[in-house]
Amino acid sequence: MIDYFVSVLTLISIFAIVVLALNVRWGWAGEFDFFVYGLLALGAYVYAVITLPPAPKNDPGLIYMLGLSQPFPVGVLGAMTVTGLVSLIVGAVALRNLRQVFFGIMTFSSVLIMAAVISQETPIFNGYNGVFGLAQPFNDLLQLSDEQYSFFFLGLCLVSLFLIYLLLERIFWSPYGLVLRAIREDEVAAAAFGKSPYTARLKAYVLGGVIAGLSGALLVSYLTAFNTDAWTPQETVLIFACIIIGGTANGRGAILGSFIVFGLILEGTRFLPPIPGHPDAPSAVRAIAIAVVMLVFLRWRPQGILPERHLKDGEPGQPSAPLRALWSRLRVARGR
Amino acid sequence: MTILLHGVGFGLVTASIIALASVAFSLQFSVTTTPNFAHGELLTVGAYGALVAQTLTHSLILEIIAAMAAGAVVASAMNLAILQPFLKAGAKRLTIFLVTVSIGLVIQNVLLIAFGGAPSAYELPAFDLKQVGPFLWTTLDEWIMLATLGTLLLLHIVLRYTKFGKSLRAVSDNPQLARVTGINTPRVIQLTWGIDGLIAGFAGFVLAAYVGSITPTIGFSFLVVVFAASVIGGLGRPYGTLVGALLIGVAMEVSASYLPAEYKTSVAFALLILTLLFRPSGVFATQIWKFSE
Repeated sequence: MIDYFVSVLTLISIFAIVVLALNVRWGWAGEFDFFVYGLLALGAYVYAVITLPPAPKNDPGLIYMLGLSQPFPVGVLGAMTVTGLVSLIVGAVALRNLRQVFFGIMTFSSVLIMAAVISQETPIFNGYNGVFGLAQPFNDLLQLSDEQYSFFFLGLCLVSLFLIYLLLERIFWSPYGLVLRAIREDEVAAAAFGKSPYTARLKAYVLGGVIAGLSGALLVSYLTAFNTDAWTPQETVLIFACIIIGGTANGRGAILGSFIVFGLILEGTRFLPPIPGHPDAPSAVRAIAIAVVMLVFLRWRPQGILPERHLKDGEPGQPSAPLRALWSRLRVARGR
Repeated sequence: MTILLHGVGFGLVTASIIALASVAFSLQFSVTTTPNFAHGELLTVGAYGALVAQTLTHSLILEIIAAMAAGAVVASAMNLAILQPFLKAGAKRLTIFLVTVSIGLVIQNVLLIAFGGAPSAYELPAFDLKQVGPFLWTTLDEWIMLATLGTLLLLHIVLRYTKFGKSLRAVSDNPQLARVTGINTPRVIQLTWGIDGLIAGFAGFVLAAYVGSITPTIGFSFLVVVFAASVIGGLGRPYGTLVGALLIGVAMEVSASYLPAEYKTSVAFALLILTLLFRPSGVFATQIWKFSE
């Protein structure tokens, strides 16, 4: 039972990171982005080929590029760099003149093309079969038993989630965060104040991409395998559902939403009694439940459970009290 | 050269199916300005409607009617029961887009529960390829192209020469002005969803008959091709969409002669992305405007 909770909690915290990534793009910048799940997948693949040993020469069933046998931090940095660069390219092109639905269609098509290329071109990431057999990060040093290790990895994911949350909270209340939300609300007005909408949007797009890459690296090092089956358009809807339910443009809302969607709805429906003769029923019921909850929220509470926090007139950007305390302590430590 | 011509021949058949599906999408978008992500599911519903009719009746005419009726009922219900309340509550266009994403997910999974994920198929006689001029077509292919031509011609007549067609074009041009001149705009919108469903349901039946298997995701996986044809033709321009469908269909099938068949849809996506980047208002638009609201 404890094993089960630990594994669910680990997955939730990994997915919460990618939800935060989409929240930067959709919540802060207002971009209707479908590419984020493709970036999670790309991050996972890149992490895998950086940390795996070189592919065996004479095995036609297992071909992939690189194979650098590098440790976890190098793999994570590599994954984040690559997803950031890909976001930079896609964003630089797509953000130029596409908005709203057209941006959505463009990123949706891009991710489908990426999936087709990765499935077809075996030498990149081993095609349909995907990568597998990854080592557990740090366990060659720690030598923990499986049970101890699962706690260690949960801790790693939670710490990553918390650090990303702190970083994003910082950016959210920074002048740049305010500019970004101003652009989301009224692009022309923000441009009139001398802010470049294109640059601000592109920065947010890349920031989201880098974070999505981190969650991809964590996901693949937890699952120790990854292939194209783990990667369907439905997953993107799940990530959107987390934000819509938890609260758009609110970091805590995004994390809360991940707990509700991945914890309550996905795991809760797992205990439904099976319907004989309908093997697909449980997964279908799960998807319907998510879609219906999302519809209910969109209709009656479009801002989500925890709505976006706004600045009041004349008040400086103020996050919650514990965060303020933490920052002031950091500032003291840096001698400011 | 023969390979190329055969590719063009197959492309014309594919283009017919794309044309049916995307003209319906484009017509609906031009009148309601609702980007419908659940359009693929209207096709799927039509395909399954025909499947149910087949197990009951074994009559081709009734199958087609069932497909069209299923599409029309679902599309109208979607508008009446879900989209209109959202619009009345003042939902933004992106919210509506997410709403249609959710509706599509629901329909797809209801069908998955009802019919299972295993592919089913219509009982159709076996068709042999035969040489027609420079092209290789089966009798089914010829029927598909004829049926598409017939449907689109009928739609053209309705749009051009009936009073309803006139009011539909008026609403699509300028809803406020149409309302001022006494056109019952909500009714036109509701009927447009019905027509959209009729054609989409039929397109689903044709698609499933052509592909040879029906799954709950058949329409969804066709959706991006529909988007591609509609955007290339200019979103919300049913006549331009027709040319877009022709372009996409032929490009997909010709590419299949030279590239792995799995890249067929990627070719359509690539054309879509290029269009979005360089002429976002469609290849045939005379003026380029930005799609920002």
